[in-house]
Amino acid sequence: MDILRKRLGMWTRLLGPLAAVLASCPAVLAANRMSVSQELDAEYSYVGGAATRGAGANIGDVDENSADVKYVISPQITKNLLLRFGAEWQRFSFGVPDHAPVPDTLQQASVALGFDYQLADQWLVRAEVQPGVYSDFRELRWDDVDAPLILGGAYLANDDLQWFLGLRVDARSQYPVLPAIGVRWKFKDEWTLNLQPPKPRLEYDVNDNLQFYFGVGLEAGTFRVGEHFGRNRGQPKLDNEVVDFTEVRIGPGCSWKIAPYLTVEAEVGYMPYRDFDFFDPTISFRSHNAPYGQITCHARF
Amino acid sequence: MVGLGWGFVTAVSATAQGPVETVKNFSDFAQIDLSQLPGGDVLVARDALMNFPNGISGQTCFAVPQPAEDTAKRLQTWDPSLHSDLKVYAFRPLHVPCELTDFQQLDFGSGQYPVRWLLDKTLASSAAKSELNLTRDEVNELAACVQKRRDPQAVGRCWANLLFARASKFQQQGSVGVLPYQMNGETVSPAVQLHAILLEQARVAGEFAPFLKKIGLLGNEAATTSLAPFYYWTFFDADHHGTLSLGAVYLLAVGDHYQLADFEYYVSGNYYTSLTLYEVWPIQVGGKPGALVWRGDYFAAPTLAFTKGTERIAYGALMMQDIKREIRCFRDDLKARR
Repeated sequence: MDILRKRLGMWTRLLGPLAAVLASCPAVLAANRMSVSQELDAEYSYVGGAATRGAGANIGDVDENSADVKYVISPQITKNLLLRFGAEWQRFSFGVPDHAPVPDTLQQASVALGFDYQLADQWLVRAEVQPGVYSDFRELRWDDVDAPLILGGAYLANDDLQWFLGLRVDARSQYPVLPAIGVRWKFKDEWTLNLQPPKPRLEYDVNDNLQFYFGVGLEAGTFRVGEHFGRNRGQPKLDNEVVDFTEVRIGPGCSWKIAPYLTVEAEVGYMPYRDFDFFDPTISFRSHNAPYGQITCHARF
Repeated sequence: MVGLGWGFVTAVSATAQGPVETVKNFSDFAQIDLSQLPGGDVLVARDALMNFPNGISGQTCFAVPQPAEDTAKRLQTWDPSLHSDLKVYAFRPLHVPCELTDFQQLDFGSGQYPVRWLLDKTLASSAAKSELNLTRDEVNELAACVQKRRDPQAVGRCWANLLFARASKFQQQGSVGVLPYQMNGETVSPAVQLHAILLEQARVAGEFAPFLKKIGLLGNEAATTSLAPFYYWTFFDADHHGTLSLGAVYLLAVGDHYQLADFEYYVSGNYYTSLTLYEVWPIQVGGKPGALVWRGDYFAAPTLAFTKGTERIAYGALMMQDIKREIRCFRDDLKARR
């Protein structure tokens, strides 16, 4: 009970200032109808059967369906500060044979809490924590709850060149702190080298509304599998373990701005590498070489 | 060196007490440290939240080592096309009354992407559809004109006719003569757009009210000014899109300082209109006559209605970067006496 009280006290301390900020929102929002923005991103993809091996076993061909929906609402509190409140659901479903020691589902249901802030004339920063359930959703327990933190900074050199720095902090992952660097460089009127993780691309603007690109996509996450996951599959060491999931996709695509607030992207390509890494114990299952197709929708309003 | 520095700062501060307080009163700058400005600093204040969905604004403040009167006159007629990084292809003054030959240097033949973009949009314009800021009559005239000959030189001549007609009307009637654009069934008036922005800039509008009323940009009355503005046309790259615009820069002496208003009364596309206001005060810079310049930029653009949240903050920050670059070029020209 003491621990519970302490935690409650901690949350009260954390939420106190947030509550004060939220309490001020209605006044700010009432005074300004431009001060709320919303983002909705949805993605569906299918990866064909990919030969999968690991722990001395041949799992066979594993295909994948994945979906991701994220919604964020951002009230602008001052001219330099936006808060971010949202929710995300992401699911990877794998077509694995019965009793194979590879999860058939990895899923995330989380909320997003954070802020964007203009730190200086040319610097924007973002901090977002995404507490939620990250697991195979078989036997939901408190162990499945995680709260990765995303920190990012953008340096706006000019209209055509921007630099990005990022940091993903996830205490459960084998790599709890993952740094990233990126750049967006419009080096010719039609061409942009948009090397922003996790989806770096080379982009070609056909016109104001249509763009072709060639890019790399990184799907990744850290999830906990069920208490009986391993023993049901002849690998008791994998019970209740954490798996780092990583998948790389390479391919061309096109982006169509249907309306000023709505963009749809379609892409096909090749998945050269997928890894289910149970890093403790060190057992991993890797998939290679499969085609994929993906459709994405971004709405800003 | 320390003694020299103190002497410099004191000289600046003592004589500039009035201008600093005045600028602080009507602007977004709560603090102005004059000792930093002669070193080349440009103070920047991005826009506050605006109700008007198409509007964005920003303020800057800087010093130049030239007397206020000279600075104001140079601001009125400054030619940005001498600086390649400002991406201005052409900047030309207009006669009063303007002549068709004023536009003869309008060139669509450079082959640069932004120029080709405007060429393509012009050729694609028809009575049924156009992405450019035009009246229905102008679309029809432009479509008929480019129908005869579609080469860059001919398209340039078609645009010259259109700009000549608009500039002539503005010279005769002022902002009352600015024809609204008719786009996708909507009528967009540059003057109304600016009016909506200025309504939200109470302190700035208050500071410039008599001047803006005189030139017909504030209030419902027609311009009553005897001020002779500097008229110009310009062709430049706005976000990788070729853009033509017509503008007028008004200058008014108000006691010991100067006010300027650069009004883009016609823009071919990408945005609807802009207004740049300046207030130029005499100060001492390093013991010599100098000028403290406050500048406010006000833009109306259709894309802003869909640029929200972080994207809008980034948009504003990048806009201020562009304005700072322009100010540095202006100061370089003053130093070089170009």
